[in-house]
Amino acid sequence: MQVSSARTIGKERTGEWIGRLIENAEVVAPTAAQAGDVIFRKISSPVEVQWGSDNPLFPPKQVVLPQTDPLVTISRGADGLVVEPVYDERPRVLFGVHSCDVKGIDFLTRMHAYDLADTAYLRRAAALTSVSVACITPCPLGFCICCDAGPFLAESFDVQLTDLGDRFLAEVGSEKGGRLVEPSADLFRTAEAGEVARRHELEEAAKRAFGPETCHFASAMRRVSVGRVSAELWDEIAGTCLECGACNFVCPTCYCFSVKDQGRDGHWVRCRTWDSCQFRAFTREASGHNPREAHRERVKRRFFHKVSAQYFRRDGAVGCVGCGRCVKVCLGTTDMPAVVAAIRKGAWHG
Amino acid sequence: MDPVLTTCPFCPCGCGFYLHVQDGRTEGVIPSEGDPVSRGRLCARGWGSHEAPAWGERLTEPLMRHEGRMRPVSWETALEAAADSLVATRRAGRTIGVLGSARATNEENYLAVRLARGALQTPHVVSCLTATYQPLLDGLHDVTGRHAGSGTVADLEHCEVIILVEGDVAVTHPQVAGAIVRARKAGCRLVTIGAVASQMTSLAALSIASTPGRERAVTFALVAAALAGGRLDTATIVAAGASFDALRRSLAEAEVSEAVARAAGWYAQAQRAAIVVAPLVADAAELRRLAGDLATLAAATGHLDRDGSPLLILPARGNLRGACEVGASPNFLPGFAPLSDDGAGSRLEGVWGVPPVRETGLDAAQMLTVARGVVIVAEDPTAVMPAGALAREALRRMECVVLLDAFATPALELATVVLPIASFAENDGTVTGLDGRVRQVRAAVRPPGKARPGWAVLAAMLGRLGPATEYHGAEEVRREIARAMPPDIGARWREVDEARVVPRAERNGGRRPSLGPLAPCEPIKPAPSVAVWDGVLDWGSDPLVRYSPTLCRDSAAQRKLFPGGFVELSKEAMDRLGVRQGWPVRLKSAGGEAVAPAVMRADLAAGVVVVPFAFRDALAPVMGGHGVTSVAVERA
Amino acid sequence: MDNLFLPRVARIAAVRDETPDTKTFDLVLRDGGERRDFTFVPGQFMELSVFGIGEAPFCFASSPTRAECIQTTVRRTGLLTDAMHKLAAGDEVGLRGPCGNGFDVAAATGKDLLFIGGGIGLPPLRGLIWNVLDERDRFDKVTILYGARTPTDLVYKGELDEWARRGDVELHVTVDRGEAGWTGNVGMVPTLFDRTELRPATTLAYVCGPPVMIKFVVQDLLMRGFSPDSVISTLERMMQCGVGKCNHCCIGHRYVCRDGPVFTYRQIREMTE
Repeated sequence: MQVSSARTIGKERTGEWIGRLIENAEVVAPTAAQAGDVIFRKISSPVEVQWGSDNPLFPPKQVVLPQTDPLVTISRGADGLVVEPVYDERPRVLFGVHSCDVKGIDFLTRMHAYDLADTAYLRRAAALTSVSVACITPCPLGFCICCDAGPFLAESFDVQLTDLGDRFLAEVGSEKGGRLVEPSADLFRTAEAGEVARRHELEEAAKRAFGPETCHFASAMRRVSVGRVSAELWDEIAGTCLECGACNFVCPTCYCFSVKDQGRDGHWVRCRTWDSCQFRAFTREASGHNPREAHRERVKRRFFHKVSAQYFRRDGAVGCVGCGRCVKVCLGTTDMPAVVAAIRKGAWHG
Repeated sequence: MDPVLTTCPFCPCGCGFYLHVQDGRTEGVIPSEGDPVSRGRLCARGWGSHEAPAWGERLTEPLMRHEGRMRPVSWETALEAAADSLVATRRAGRTIGVLGSARATNEENYLAVRLARGALQTPHVVSCLTATYQPLLDGLHDVTGRHAGSGTVADLEHCEVIILVEGDVAVTHPQVAGAIVRARKAGCRLVTIGAVASQMTSLAALSIASTPGRERAVTFALVAAALAGGRLDTATIVAAGASFDALRRSLAEAEVSEAVARAAGWYAQAQRAAIVVAPLVADAAELRRLAGDLATLAAATGHLDRDGSPLLILPARGNLRGACEVGASPNFLPGFAPLSDDGAGSRLEGVWGVPPVRETGLDAAQMLTVARGVVIVAEDPTAVMPAGALAREALRRMECVVLLDAFATPALELATVVLPIASFAENDGTVTGLDGRVRQVRAAVRPPGKARPGWAVLAAMLGRLGPATEYHGAEEVRREIARAMPPDIGARWREVDEARVVPRAERNGGRRPSLGPLAPCEPIKPAPSVAVWDGVLDWGSDPLVRYSPTLCRDSAAQRKLFPGGFVELSKEAMDRLGVRQGWPVRLKSAGGEAVAPAVMRADLAAGVVVVPFAFRDALAPVMGGHGVTSVAVERA
Repeated sequence: MDNLFLPRVARIAAVRDETPDTKTFDLVLRDGGERRDFTFVPGQFMELSVFGIGEAPFCFASSPTRAECIQTTVRRTGLLTDAMHKLAAGDEVGLRGPCGNGFDVAAATGKDLLFIGGGIGLPPLRGLIWNVLDERDRFDKVTILYGARTPTDLVYKGELDEWARRGDVELHVTVDRGEAGWTGNVGMVPTLFDRTELRPATTLAYVCGPPVMIKFVVQDLLMRGFSPDSVISTLERMMQCGVGKCNHCCIGHRYVCRDGPVFTYRQIREMTE
């Protein structure tokens, strides 16, 4: 980071800044919800932002990939059926997101641009700008440091804020990010060398704060990639998986989906809906044949897609940003760190 | 729109989560870490619960049958026709009844009870599944004086020993299964009792094989083993006095296997130990005795009501506990008040303005056979009644069938008046979780077309049949429920604060459980094979599953591959018969015989034939409406 | 920008019964410009939709050398195919594609071609067969082996007769079980190998059919000296998007919808998951 590009904004002025963002875009930020949860949702006032909250259990990936995502509308016209694409290009700002989720959206965008470009997704993603807050202390279950997805970001971000006590250091990482900061230049001032130095100290301290027992992907990757994990081990792991699909649904990098027609009587919306590779029906064919009928095959599939070298080469990253959400939502005990450890050690203790 | 906090409509675990609403549709589910039941963890059904209301085939306007066809009518006309036809049927001296439902809220079930025992002056109000659950509560009551177990699902995670009378909780109650999986990871010893090698069985430290329908042979022996092994709760035994000796004597004939002795020893010695009973297929008397055995086991070893030692009876479907509690049960007034309780009678009269009918009601199967008029609240009896085909015939014979439902279920074909109501996600109210927590469900979107909340429709029917009854919202109904119940149980309905607090008001403050002799356990007659319904019931017939594009897939595939049904056999049995996948086998019982394709199931014991509940009608000649029966199997 | 999920509208020009549960549909894109620009390669597939019901992949059963209409042959097996079977000429469906890689026709130039189809596995080969027959001079010997469960289950009966009459094609048909009036071969597809002369070194074998048939046919071909590179098949998997995004059809890191559906036996063998 160049010193000249960094600025600071006093905490008392962030409200003003967010207020201006709300005037020009749909701003999605962590907010307090009824049962004490923090949930990403559209805000209408800066006071709704829950600063400094733990990373919300539900990731903000629905801002680029809604659970039910209309793709195409179909209706009856005078000359037969009329088929029209649906695009959502509303300008959005994802405010107060953590580093791992920025990396997650970055991953999803790469996947939808890879090979054939998914324009419906890409247009929505292009209209999104993120303002992330770097993590000064690792979250209890997080292991972003193993996935090159935090605690601070060196790339992939639009605007990255670092909490310096009474102010934030703001780094602009993209043109889109610049467009959030430039019009509000009056609220920022150029960062001093000491402030930039402080940011680096905080990053080093955050990295040091991770415990030694994190998630060691390398060995798991070696074994998974060449099929050197025994069927018995997959069976044991599958025995403690309850096929809820939660690991997929909360994973910032999961994007498997099904396409379904909603509506009736000549007014249909073809929707993309989240699906899970852990569901038995995910690969069942019309004939009834299912290449992944055995539970272990489905569990194995998930981790092949996540950590195999084949996918790593293709995607440039493991399919994990180390957010630790799967640890919390797993109805059984088959979360990413647990399974990676089991593959590495050749034994399941779930 | 803000996410709406609500409670899952599927199983009775009662998980809380938020519904994400976009453009007037439920678009997704957001888990809630702060929810005391789910703590952020949901099963596949919970994750898919936003789909059905938005995608399903919905009833959007009142309908009336006219010259054999259903025609749309106004609410006014439909309500009048419903009330008039019920009154006319009753005046003609014929029986009428009301069916509540595990799919309906407490408010809807309660108003169904008030409609029956109050406005319509009939004692017949029950839910289709009451008979699978009420006997178990009665069995607990025999020992503990309370129609309830104790503890929570979360308690399971800290137990050292869990005794699970298994159906298939990984499928039926995934949140319970999850707690068991985590408990096991923490070192808990799991004991399963069952006929099928389920996922939970594969995790068990000890699994005790039982005969379908005769699980009691094991629970009876467990009590005997615990008493023989010592480590009993002195205070309970001293208080029981001579009854304890009678109990001991009643167990003299029990056959205690080594496994049973070990399991009983683990349970008795643990500081925190749990008993969990999954939905079972057995007759009512057997269920009642089984629950009595287990309550006796818990009481004698000091686990009953001990903090951290839950005794959980799992209802088969969402709000079955709530339906029974508010009075959809033949032998009780709301809150399990006995019919003979004069205090309850005058309490209800004060609330209802009419004295409640205090005769014993019929169970659902009898009611369908006897009644000529019925109000059905959010249920398809043909899909959930043990004898679906008989239920269909019974409904066809009726003079009036008033159906309240959100979805176009097959029951629609048999209705005379259809009143469209709000579905999950469109309705306010409460449901009761398996642990007794009264949990809120909230409307996130508007019901489609002219559909109205079920409580409002029932209130309108009450108004037409008796004194004007007006509620300003479901909450007012809930407060009335609190007043209608015995005070200790009603307390749970008074304040619903997201049900963070586990209900303790009903605990036996100082009361000792009443130990006494247990009914003898008849020896199991040897039979070539035993055919049994799967205890999962048929999730595929639940409209919330059927209309969800994600959730319907497994059941749809099963129906597609075997439209005429199938039976499941063990590999051993198939080898012995010389049949392969899909080949027909003939089942013969005392009742009759039927032929169905055989499907191999690796986790079955050799002598067990599983009849999927969805296809029970195809096997009706063999099963004869029973859940379990002895059969001979041969190659067809 | 092209939208991957936007179907074109196609009109059904004709529907023909092939067998009691199988129909062939002639499809014509409604828009003239789309009709002109539409190209595909045999072995590719399209995503067809009955609106309100859903979408599924179907092979092109016709040859790009015959561009009057797009043909596909559909067996009734599920919700969508059931809905398709209820459609008639004039009805409209959605069509996306072409999807997938298709057969490499150029690589077959100058070779002997051996087509082996089983049951409903003939349609994906039929597009290639007509393509080959329309450019017959580019290829050496052409042999077609086809089998079905019963004579009733044979598809394209008219064309089978036509191929049998042609001098430049060797056709052998067999059924697992004969029926009244059937005078042809009875037996599994591999029994046809002995009726023809195979030149493994210069032949490409195209195998399509039910998994169990493919298994035995491929075993046999390898035993008779075919290289795993010259045995070519198409794979079927549950598919949703057809464009490499939804991940339903993955085998390991391969996508049947993008890397396939046409694979050599060597590629299939090397797939790990």
